[in-house]
Parts: sequence; structure tokens; C-alpha cells
Amino acid sequence: MTELAQAVVNGLQMGFLYALVAVGLTIIWGLMEMINFAHGEFLMLGMFGAWWLSASFRLDPLLAILPIALVMFAFGMLVYQQLMRRVQGGDPFTQIFATIGLLFLLQNAVVAGFTSDYRFVNDTLLQRLGGARLTVLGITFAVPLLLAAGLALLLFLALYLLIERTEFGLALQATSEDRDAARLVGIRPQRMFAVAWGLGAALVAIAGAILVNFFSVYPQVGLPFTVLAYAIVALGGFGSILGTLLAALLVGVIQSVTVVYLPPAFKDAFVFGSYLLIGLLRPQGLFGRF
Amino acid sequence: MGRIALAVGAVAAIVYPIPLQIQGTTYYQTVGFLVLLNAMLGVGWNVIGGWTGQFDFGPQVFFAVGAYTAALLYVKLGVDAWLGLPVAVGAAALICAVLTYPLTRLRGHYFAISTVAIWMIAQPIGSTWEYIGAAQGLFIPVKAHAGVVGSALSLQFSGPTKALGYYYAALVLFAATLALMAWVERSKLGFYFRAIRDDQEAAEGIGIDSRLYKVIARSLTAAVFGGAGVLYAFWALSVFPEQALELNWSTLPIMATVVGGIGRLWGPVLGAAILIPISQIMSTTLGTGPLAGRGIDLIVYGLIIVVIAAFRPTGLLSLPWARWFRRRSATS
Repeated sequence: MTELAQAVVNGLQMGFLYALVAVGLTIIWGLMEMINFAHGEFLMLGMFGAWWLSASFRLDPLLAILPIALVMFAFGMLVYQQLMRRVQGGDPFTQIFATIGLLFLLQNAVVAGFTSDYRFVNDTLLQRLGGARLTVLGITFAVPLLLAAGLALLLFLALYLLIERTEFGLALQATSEDRDAARLVGIRPQRMFAVAWGLGAALVAIAGAILVNFFSVYPQVGLPFTVLAYAIVALGGFGSILGTLLAALLVGVIQSVTVVYLPPAFKDAFVFGSYLLIGLLRPQGLFGRF
Repeated sequence: MGRIALAVGAVAAIVYPIPLQIQGTTYYQTVGFLVLLNAMLGVGWNVIGGWTGQFDFGPQVFFAVGAYTAALLYVKLGVDAWLGLPVAVGAAALICAVLTYPLTRLRGHYFAISTVAIWMIAQPIGSTWEYIGAAQGLFIPVKAHAGVVGSALSLQFSGPTKALGYYYAALVLFAATLALMAWVERSKLGFYFRAIRDDQEAAEGIGIDSRLYKVIARSLTAAVFGGAGVLYAFWALSVFPEQALELNWSTLPIMATVVGGIGRLWGPVLGAAILIPISQIMSTTLGTGPLAGRGIDLIVYGLIIVVIAAFRPTGLLSLPWARWFRRRSATS
């Protein structure tokens, strides 16, 4: 029983990290309904940025969040303006292929620059707490993961308020619902899309800077996260920020509970099995409104 | 015009490896084998992705089904590859139909993710199922065969004629796939597929069962992938999960299809003929230099895909070649 409860707690802690990775996709895919298969590559760039700043300037990944977020915000806007704007009007499949091309390009540009070696960021603020454990009722909580979960919650709250409570957020929602109507009331849709891409890229790069405390960094690190993030956003219901958070927690729990009973290879299989089951029974996702 | 081009292409494909073989090189026969294999996969993917308009990212599952079925028949029962081939193709199509029917309730992005989901579930099954060799997979022993005919009949080539033998075997399967799909394209099936892609509601309005025809389309794709899997398994002399379920078995054919022209019969063929040699030639020219193994070929792939998606999403075949040729012949 304790083993199961421990697995659930571990899963929730992982779930918060997944939520961080998925939230950028909620904006680009869920809200603005544009496909980005290079999402995991944005994450990888954030992780490499954090590794590079740490290796060159001994900047802690937590402090690197701000510069990384700014650079990746600009990068996301650039990707929209130079590439995605061109393919936006056409068939949806062109978006898929454009971002698959981007995936190959970014991933292998990093391979060419840094090789495929695994890299580690050592001795970070979060890792120094590594030994710290909280034990409540026989269940152990790792303090670094708890802090990362706290950061994830903060980010979610900020994003939720931004989307749901500010004029900018309303303009973003209006653009996603009806571009032409949005233009009539004075919103510039292309600028909104560009900002959404910037925001999505910045958020997932922040996730990368937090993830380097727990995961090794290598050019191919992105794709498994991309695949999970798509399942999470679809599970949570398109464009629902709260749904994404809850779905990410669910995915973390499914993974860690699966590992208690089955070989670790099955952990993603059960996540996607759940996706299929829920998708077939409730196509609008767990928390989707339509 | 079209017939002449087809005849010239067929003759070129048949003659291509002969001078190389006489020279004593086998490298370009293998490149040709890989081009034909990926062209065949692309022609197969075009059915679900190009004509029916459903994003299928998991056809490599059926590549693995085909490879494993033929390998199991050969290793456990001693059934030769050519006899195993129809069984493997049938198994791939049937398993695909059973798996895909429930998935067709999902549309658009959700369908695409569900095909990835099937792949994610297939991987641990492949790597833990003891009967099919788990993570180790199956090894296909080479039997001694009497002469060319014996090798060709058992689809087991070895020694200096290995590359040549598999090149022609791939050419046969590729031509069969192309002929089948050329027929499908002009048949009622092909029109139903495109009707579903262009407007699913309208297609249903005139009585097309969209779920049924999506299943048929994906099973046709799966059948091609299954057949290619058999060929690849006997070429590689082994089947194991990380090889047979590799993501490249869907990304390369999909990229070839997009580059050449999605929804066009010959699109994937042109795409594979451009993309596959790039990778092969790069790995030879870079050799063991500082940039070897640094994914330079994949950077080039990425650039090609990005440029095509941004400027010509309908692919190279959709460019006005006929007009350009006419203008050139008019000016000369």
C-alpha cells in the first residue's frame, strides 16, 4: 500500500515537470490550433542553453531562466514570422511538415555543433538540496522535485491569469476563435500569433532550464517529450490550461504506477493506452468544453 | 509521352546496377535498394496520407508486423520468404484493419496521435515478448542455395551478388506496389479516398462510409509496409524491435512523399530518389572527417522539407515542368 502511495506521489512530482513541458504546447496547439512538432526541440534548446550558461559562466539554471526565456521568446516569434506565417493559410499538413523539417534542422544543427554526447549540469541550487527528503506518513518527498513542482504551479497560475484575466489574453482567445472578427475589432492577428509562438517557445524553454536539474542533456532529448506533450494536451482537452495541468499529473501517475507492476518499457504504453481509451470514450478530452 | 517516360525509367532501373556489378562495386546497388524500399513505403503511405488525408505517423508498426511474421515463419516453420510474403502482407493488413477501425472515430489531430499511440504500445510488446525474441529479436540464418535461381526463389542472396539480388527483389516489389496503387488511384476506391479527404461530410452525404474507407486505405498502406518489412528482414538477416519499429520507417517515406508531391502517385518515387542518395553520398564524402556522424545529411533534409513546405507544399512534381520544357525547346 505504501509502495503504491509512494508511486502516486512520485508520479505527481514528475507530472508537474510534464505539465511545464506541455503548457507551451497548450498555447500554440491547443489555443491557436497550430501544429508544432518541433516543440521538444524548443525544450532541447532551453536545456542546452542552461547547460551552456552553466558550463561557461557558472550561471545556475534557475538564474538562467530569464535570459533563456527572453532569447527563446524572440526565437519563437522569428519561427512564426519567417516560417509558420507562410504555411498557416494552406493545408494543415503543411504545418506538420514545416515543423518536422524544423525538428530535423534544429536537432541536427545541435548535433553538428555539440555532438550527440550526454551532458550533465552539476552542482545546481536544486541539486544541492538533493539529499533533502521530507517523510510524511512513510511517504518520501524529494525536496528538489517539490520546488520544481512549486515553480510549475506558479508558471501555470501566471499563464492562467494572463490568458483568462488580461486584455491581451482575451485578444489571444478572440484571434483563435475568429481571426477576421478579431481584425474587425482592432486586433492584429499576425502579431497575436507571433506573440503566442514566442510565449509557447519561452515557456517550454523555461521548462528545459528546470529539467536540466533532473535529466541529462542531449540533442535527441526532445522527441519523447513532444510525443508525451501532445498526448497530455489532447487528454486535457484542447486549449484548457487547467486541463493540461491535471492531464500531466495523471500521465505522471500512470507512468509511475505502471512501473510498480510491469517492466519500465511499458510506462509510456499505458499512457497512450489511456489516451486511446479516453479519446474513444470522450473525444473532447477530460476537461474540454466542446 | 507518359508511356515513353515510363519505359525509359523501367529500362534505366533494370540496367542501372549491371555496369556497376561488372566493375565489381556493390555500394550503389545498396543505395538503389534503399531508394526503392523507401519509394515503395512512400507510395504506400500516400494512400492514407495523400489520398485519404489522414495523418498516419505509425505505419512502422505494420512494417514490423510484416518483418516478424515472415521471420517467424522462416525460423520456426522453415517457410521460405516468398511464401511468407503474402501471409505477412495479409497479417499486416488484417491487424491494421482491426486496430484502425476504432481509431477512425477520432479525426484530425486526434487520429494522428492515436496512430502514434499504437506505435508507443507496440514497442514494449516487441521488446518483452519472449516468443518473438524480445529485445534480441530473431536472427535469420542463411541457407546454402544452389545458384541464382535458388537464391531468387528463397529471397536469400549472399556474397558479392547480395546487393544486386536484393536490388532486383526490391524493384519487383516496388513495381508491384506502384502498379497496384496506379490501379487504386483510378478505381472507385481512389475516388472515395479523395472524396473523404476533400470533404468528409459531403462524402458521407453521398453514401460513402468514411470509417470503412479510412480502414481500407490504412490497410492498403499497412500491406505495403508489411511487404517491405519482409524484404528488409531478409536483407538485414534479423528482426528486432528497435530496428523494425524505428521511427525512420515512417519519417523517411513521409518526407519523400512531401518532397516529391503528396497525393501524386510518382511523388514519393521522386522524393526517395532525391533524399536517400543525399544521406548515402554524404556519409561517404564526410567519411571519418570531423563532421562525420554529425547529422549533416539530416540538416539538409530539414532544410529541404522546410523550404518545400514554405514555398511549394504540393511538392516538386507540382511545378510546371511541362511549360518549362516547352519554353526551353521553343527557344533552342
